[in-house]
Amino acid sequence: MTDAPATALRILMIDDESRILRALKALLREHTAFSTTNPLEAAALAKQHDVDVVICDQRMPEKAGVDVLREIKETHPRALRILLTGYSDLKAVLGSVNEGEVFRFVNKPWNNTELRDLVAGAGQIAREAPVIARDVLPQAEHDRARTQVGVLVIEDDTAVQQRLREILQPYYKVNFANNAERALQIMEQNETGVVISETEAGRNDLTGLLKALKLHHPHIATVVVTERANASTAIELINEGQVYRLLLKPVRMGTCRLSVDSAIGRYWQLKQNPQAARRYVAAAPNAASATSALRLPAALLNRIRSLPGRLLGTMRA
Amino acid sequence: MLLIVVLVLLAACAGLGYELMRTRRQMLVLRAGSAESEEELKRLQASQSQVIHTTKLASLGQMVAGVAHEINTPLGFVKSNVEVVGDLLDDYRKLVRQYDAAVQICLQPVDLIFNADKASLDKLVKHVEEARRKLFEARAAVEKSPLLKDAKELLGDASEGLTQLSSLVLNLKGFSRVDRDGMDTMDLNEGIESALMIAQHQLRDRVKVVRHLQPLPKVRCMPSQMNQVFLNLITNAAQAIDGDGTLTIASKAEAGQVQMDFTDTGCGIPDDVLPKIFDPFFTTKPVGEGTGLGLSIVHKIVKGHGGTIKVRTTPRKGTTFTVSLPVNGNGTAAAEPA
Repeated sequence: MTDAPATALRILMIDDESRILRALKALLREHTAFSTTNPLEAAALAKQHDVDVVICDQRMPEKAGVDVLREIKETHPRALRILLTGYSDLKAVLGSVNEGEVFRFVNKPWNNTELRDLVAGAGQIAREAPVIARDVLPQAEHDRARTQVGVLVIEDDTAVQQRLREILQPYYKVNFANNAERALQIMEQNETGVVISETEAGRNDLTGLLKALKLHHPHIATVVVTERANASTAIELINEGQVYRLLLKPVRMGTCRLSVDSAIGRYWQLKQNPQAARRYVAAAPNAASATSALRLPAALLNRIRSLPGRLLGTMRA
Repeated sequence: MLLIVVLVLLAACAGLGYELMRTRRQMLVLRAGSAESEEELKRLQASQSQVIHTTKLASLGQMVAGVAHEINTPLGFVKSNVEVVGDLLDDYRKLVRQYDAAVQICLQPVDLIFNADKASLDKLVKHVEEARRKLFEARAAVEKSPLLKDAKELLGDASEGLTQLSSLVLNLKGFSRVDRDGMDTMDLNEGIESALMIAQHQLRDRVKVVRHLQPLPKVRCMPSQMNQVFLNLITNAAQAIDGDGTLTIASKAEAGQVQMDFTDTGCGIPDDVLPKIFDPFFTTKPVGEGTGLGLSIVHKIVKGHGGTIKVRTTPRKGTTFTVSLPVNGNGTAAAEPA
């Protein structure tokens, strides 16, 4: 394995089914693979071999994949994490976002070409993009960040709006929108670092907006707060929306504040270190036309694309 | 005097009339009431069948979830391997082509050798040496190549995966018994196995299953209903165990009866709850998590088959459900309880 070319990535694979490991190794044979059926030794292996990408099964007898990935996120944050799963229950999906911060969620059976491309892309990013070690900022810096960075809430339920106002207003620069149109107006006029959003407003889907936003402005942290949670929408929001946190209603004050605090920290650090944003880039929708894939009117998509960089805190290339 | 009599009679008549009217009114009220309670009864029955249907759907959902996971893992590596083997064969073909090219180079000098001068002959010798080296390398590359060995291994895995998949499908068919209807004879151990397979995703991560299954005579029963009994008991056991634990399933046959024990190391059932566990709609689970019908359905099915179900429980230690069924049950199980 020492004669592997420089472009070959180092990949760690964890699955309790050894045949899955053999299949993945064969599929990714141009890379250097390390594998184990024992999730308990995964974190040590990741660090020891300084791997670029981790592919981990969710359901294993000794330890859940989400927990393995959370541990690797702490001990070897440089690696990008992919969760591979046969069947996804909502709890696992939520855990993978909120705790594991997975890069992608891949369902078994996977598509070979897509998985190969995904791993190659992820490995590239893991090698080139700097790591943000901790999202939570030191107190003084956090206080500075929260007075500058706008938090935008997209929610049409007035009761929930009111609740969020009570939780957020005393600490952050908050704006409220009850539809996509209004949300964009606010973003065109204010520096917005964190978007807190339902998945729907007034029967209109908002996930297209969230995905497009992340696709064109990957440094914005999105927190989805929803009562319509299901595993497949959540997976979509991870893969194509790189959602930062996924919370279920009713909104709890503590979780909500913690999430927004660290979301602001994430945005603030990406603003200073724009290269790191590549780690949080969303997958482009595969359909030929982005407007139809994102279910967004072309005009709205153009406005998202041309949101001014000065308000988003990044230099536009 | 007459006047008094008339007055008294009149008063009595009025009283009677009044009484009659009141009775009639009461009758109307009663009739309305009975209509109302009849309606209430209908509503209750409708909502009960609704809940039973929901329970069925819930266990179907559970089944689909479990089976999806069991299927997708072998499907994952089978699908991937078959495609990768295609790629490996392409790579192997490239090696063989390189070998062929080397053979061609070796053959060229033979044509040249006949009309050659001294200088060309020297060149030719060099060419031959070079060609032999290339041929040797190409030959070694083909021989040493792990491609075919890898391909064979991947195909071996794929074929095992396919065996797993077909046994899953067979199990599912056995569980649902959609191909058969009504009473049949059944090996209950097989039913237990297929229910275990379907409950797999609830057990796998944390509950160890110990089987003490003795060979059983075939039992006359409604197989799909018996499978539902097993699935409910296994699911209940899995839910009673918080964290890691063991589910022991034992079966044996004696004196015309088949007996099956489902023993979990779960939380047990408190004394005040125990008498109610077979009541319809009784549940200790939070609203929305249980319908309270699982065990009542189990009870109904077992009774319908002329069998009995018993519980032994120790709080915080675990519970054993014992199901006994007559081998030649004349079961009145025809009524569809679930």
